[in-house]
Amino acid sequence: MKALFSKGSKNGASNPPATAPPVKKDLQVPQISPLEKRLQDMGSIRADGSDKFYGMENYGNTCYCNSILQCLYYSVPFREAVINYPQRTPMDSLEAALAKNLRYQNPNAHLEAEALAAKQKASSPPSARQAGVPPNPNQKPEDKDSPEYKKKVALQTLPILETKNNASSYGMSESLFTSLKDIFESVVGSQARIGIVRPQQFLDVLRRENEMFRTAMHQDAHEFLNLLLNEVVANVETEATKQAFTEKALPPTESADSLGTLTPSTGSKSPNTTRWVHELFEGTLTSETKCLTCEKVSQRDEVFLDLSVDLEQHSSVTSCLRKFSAEEMLCERNKFHCDNCGGLQEAEKRMKIKRLPRVLALHLKRFKYTEDLQRLQKLFHRVVYPYHLRLFNTTDDAEDPDRLYELYAVVVHIGGGPYHGHYVAIIKTEDRGWLLFDDELVEPVDKSYVRNFFGDRPGLACAYVLFYQETTLEAVMREQAQENQAPTTAAAETGDAGKPNGSPFSPPLAHAQSASQAPPDNTTSSIPLSRIPTAPQLSTYPEEPLEPNPASPRTVQPPLPPIPDEPAPPLSPKKSDHQLRKERRAMEKEKDKNEKNRLKEQDLHNREMQRREADELKRAIEASRADTVDFAAENGSPRKSSSFGFLKRGSRSLSHRLTKDKEPRVSTSDLSSSPLLPEVVPEGPLKDAEPAQPVNKPVQPIKPTSPVQPVQSPVSSPRNFPPISNPKQPTQPIRNPEPLAKDQHTNNTKPGHTPRWRSFSFKKVA
Amino acid sequence: MFVLPPPPPRYTIPVAYAAGAANGMAVPVVETNNTITHPENGCPLQVGEGTYILQDDLLLATPPPHPSEAPIINPNPLATLPTPPTTGVKLSLVTLDARKKPPTFLNSAVTAPQFGDGNPALAAPPVAAKDASKRRKPKNNIIKSSSSFVSRVITHETSAKRLGDRDWNGVFAFANINRAFQWLDLSSPTKEEHLTKVLFTKAHMLCHDINELTKTSSHLDIVMGSSAGDIIWYEPMSQKYARINKNGVINSSPVTHIKWLPGSENLFIASHANGALVVYDKEKEDALFTPEANGHSEQEIGRLPLDILKSVNSKNQKTNPVSFWKMANQKISSFSFSPDQRHLAVVLEDGSLRLMDYLKEEVLDIFRSYYGGLICVCWSPDGKYIVTGGQDDLLTIWSFPERKVVARCQGHNSWVSCVAFDPWRCDQKTYRFGSVGDDCRLLLWDFSVGMLHRPRAHQASTRNRSSIVVPNSQAANRHRADSGDNRMRSDSNETAKSSEDIEQMSHPVEPRSRTALLPPIMSKIVGEDPTCWLGFQKDCIMTSSLEGHIRTWHRPSDSVVKA
Repeated sequence: MKALFSKGSKNGASNPPATAPPVKKDLQVPQISPLEKRLQDMGSIRADGSDKFYGMENYGNTCYCNSILQCLYYSVPFREAVINYPQRTPMDSLEAALAKNLRYQNPNAHLEAEALAAKQKASSPPSARQAGVPPNPNQKPEDKDSPEYKKKVALQTLPILETKNNASSYGMSESLFTSLKDIFESVVGSQARIGIVRPQQFLDVLRRENEMFRTAMHQDAHEFLNLLLNEVVANVETEATKQAFTEKALPPTESADSLGTLTPSTGSKSPNTTRWVHELFEGTLTSETKCLTCEKVSQRDEVFLDLSVDLEQHSSVTSCLRKFSAEEMLCERNKFHCDNCGGLQEAEKRMKIKRLPRVLALHLKRFKYTEDLQRLQKLFHRVVYPYHLRLFNTTDDAEDPDRLYELYAVVVHIGGGPYHGHYVAIIKTEDRGWLLFDDELVEPVDKSYVRNFFGDRPGLACAYVLFYQETTLEAVMREQAQENQAPTTAAAETGDAGKPNGSPFSPPLAHAQSASQAPPDNTTSSIPLSRIPTAPQLSTYPEEPLEPNPASPRTVQPPLPPIPDEPAPPLSPKKSDHQLRKERRAMEKEKDKNEKNRLKEQDLHNREMQRREADELKRAIEASRADTVDFAAENGSPRKSSSFGFLKRGSRSLSHRLTKDKEPRVSTSDLSSSPLLPEVVPEGPLKDAEPAQPVNKPVQPIKPTSPVQPVQSPVSSPRNFPPISNPKQPTQPIRNPEPLAKDQHTNNTKPGHTPRWRSFSFKKVA
Repeated sequence: MFVLPPPPPRYTIPVAYAAGAANGMAVPVVETNNTITHPENGCPLQVGEGTYILQDDLLLATPPPHPSEAPIINPNPLATLPTPPTTGVKLSLVTLDARKKPPTFLNSAVTAPQFGDGNPALAAPPVAAKDASKRRKPKNNIIKSSSSFVSRVITHETSAKRLGDRDWNGVFAFANINRAFQWLDLSSPTKEEHLTKVLFTKAHMLCHDINELTKTSSHLDIVMGSSAGDIIWYEPMSQKYARINKNGVINSSPVTHIKWLPGSENLFIASHANGALVVYDKEKEDALFTPEANGHSEQEIGRLPLDILKSVNSKNQKTNPVSFWKMANQKISSFSFSPDQRHLAVVLEDGSLRLMDYLKEEVLDIFRSYYGGLICVCWSPDGKYIVTGGQDDLLTIWSFPERKVVARCQGHNSWVSCVAFDPWRCDQKTYRFGSVGDDCRLLLWDFSVGMLHRPRAHQASTRNRSSIVVPNSQAANRHRADSGDNRMRSDSNETAKSSEDIEQMSHPVEPRSRTALLPPIMSKIVGEDPTCWLGFQKDCIMTSSLEGHIRTWHRPSDSVVKA
């Protein structure tokens, strides 16, 4: 400890005295950041993580990930469930990890860096991180109010929290869930209230397992959310199955039960059930189809994780939701196959919400395929969203149909189109009001700031995903009674202590650090006190010497993405997917062998399904090869239709029914309905096919445990991302086969994350 | 790397929003003129009684930014600097023609006492009884003003002649657009040409009202509330003005709504964005406002529905404000006086509708919107019903005597910005009202108590839990006839209020399954920008929009109605 301390002080000494330059040079340097101001009088560090406000480093267009992760972190029930499942990391393990991973930096590093930069007088290369945001020619390189500058400073001065795989300490194998849990746990366990998380490990896992996120390109935040939730479900269930088997305490039937596939364990919020994601985000939609010939109403229930709604100019979220449930005529080429009277009939169809989710994720479909431009276009419709919401489109027998929701997070997309841009999140924290999370930057904002993103204001920034969480009127009224009161009291308090900005003694300690990092006493007078450590409860000494090299300006240049972007070999992505699947299947088989006594029966089933699946896949591939008519339309989003590959199905399976597109058009669901698709397949066969599913589905309790192994070598898994500038790029030999009705079947049985999800819906149908 | 395609052109939404300057949008660089168009087969409104024909569409010119206030175009769409509030165009209409007055439904002459009746300090000084017709004017000339608040005044070159020639039964309109405030003569053949245009330096006028009691052919008392909190008392005939709440000395938050007290020559109420409802006297000077001692302890502030920081019964009435009530911590969106001039319905951003007996300075009831903030409110001409509109896209009809929700009206596709009854199409049994919203629509509604039905079976109601509370017993068996309420509160300093009194009648939200749903009789998109004001006249319906479109529909002729 002494050594560390001396190192720290040496570090401080080796760098020119931290105090001198600011006083002399930079009188206007804010002593305390707006966030720190907002965080005054926070009291001691809480155990639940609600008082942690971490930015997230952007590794080059990873803002889609950062914004969604922040939204999930500040969902209290989600955060708690993630932390507590399967159990909290033992304290010592977490401490050890934090000691390794949390690195404090010199709060004045940026000043020194600036001084150096001023000497060099070399402007840093333009940052590539916000490639999509149109560069602003007017902006001076050192505009201190620019977000770029603030981010740079944040990266240089705030504590940096690395996340490493810690999965073994709570007995899981590494997966997307565990890396998410690692992030959450390190933030919760950290002694610093503000800082920057480096979600490198999370991104590594994400990219290892999901081809489409492997590029450094802009991604769709909603797709990512959907994938993440599905992956978390899958990881958790895989884990549960594994544990059930290893413990051998439960007979197979009950292990299936523990998966939650048979009986939804209602009410229980214990994280030991695997259904917590379902209980939070999942709702049930009922599609009621009324045959106009025989008047029979047939119902089908489907689950959803989020709702994708079409937008209209000058509308509200309420209205979009109502439109979503508006009646739709199935006629002409889109007739309904009525089981009752047999054959294709005209019918009326509408979708209503039968079970309301606790957290309602609303995806505003701002990216719409336009025929003229042959590509996705961003809609800048003005769509207003209230702070509170109830759903009008519920079924008559829905439980608690008047449930009150409050807006707690908004993911904003900034940019002119779907292929580039920037995402930020605006989140209502538990007791510190609304904050803007822009990668590394966390800034407090007014409540009214949330309303700047209806879509009609300059700057191309529009709300893209809205998170509403359930609440009660009483809670709302309680909050309203306190609203706009806190600032005045806070102001009064700081007023008592002197000028809020001036006195170094007034701000309470908002920025806890371990004592070892305490700057030498002589510096305290100039360093904002809020950054000065409190007595530590956890020792988080940096093990390696502090090397924030504050002298060399940390350019905001993002590190290279972990997997280099190289042009894709001319291998069909489908085939690679196929191979990958085969590999996984092989692994699975191997595993099955180990437990074959128990799993013999199921294995048989699996094989059968695999065979069928392979057949169908082949058929689908052929069909899609043959089908060149839809090609152009599909390629409206080459990224989505090709490189997304089997992943795509994940979001599709959920969102396709959420979209109001006619069922056969599902593939374009979240790209909004593609007007070019000429082929309209009646949904009859589709409906026929589905009831058969439950028979096959639930007997596949073992999910491939692929996460453990690096599944893909560069050769076997070529990444395919055609130049997005050319939507018609014919290098994709295979069209996404989804529009074909028969593929629906195929999709259901593919080992993506989708089938796992869908299985629940089928269960309910049965 | 790849060459990205240029971003597609931004949707061609109308750019010259009234909010333009504030939002950094392109705004005209020079002063322009109002324009008028007469749409050919415009936008007919078809309802039972006939077809309302769109007569014209008058587009008010958005003024250029003040030279000293060139809009700083912030390239960062995430800039956290708060933008100053602004609003779309709203109109205040006035006519001296008694025939154009809306019909009244109150059987007896209004006998509501004057506000602050019992306070001798408020008794009007017995002045100038000799010349009752001579109205007192504000002191300062607005044209020659050197105030930094007023930028300049543009008078139409022939305005004096036009004023002299005009038919005195015509209709004047006063309209705010951006930082301008225009005076229009709607009965003139050249009605698009303003009589006077006042340009303010920075502030936007958000609301305005004309005193119906003091209007004469040579005098109009107008008050307007600004985004800066300042209030202007303006007399257009003499071009005089006075500034009240100067620099926000009494309350610095924006004025969201302003109305003359019914039957008062001098007093008006302004609601502020910080939840304060303040009564001012146009004749009185400002004084730095310090809340007078009130009986509520610190903890209770914000919980009590009405925090009387200065009562009308205060002895100190030499300066403004006359009274100062803090209703909530949220913005007051709007308020409306009951036709009998005794009650005030106030709607707030927190989603509450608060009914006040403002003469007694107390809140009688609090209702909640279905969800989201409430935006607009009005009373039926007979005072029996209150209609509110809000962020739940709904209009809600409340029964004042029964103190409960009567029906919810579903038809808007976005937030409802203004609601108004059409007194010419109301009788004792049926009511006509209209509404406009951010969805650019104008909707007309008919309702009579008899025709309302319960759209849903009660089946679902038994299962309700959580956010919808079953009406509490207290509210259910309460019968408090407000007229029979003879409690007098002499002073707000007196705190001997029983808990019973403090206990406000806070009504729970009615579940959807137990509320009647009313469809509109007419719904029409009337423009391309959000509509923000609606008014019924004897011969027409008028709307105005965010960007400055003032549209006028003529009522169907009587022959059409008969046929």
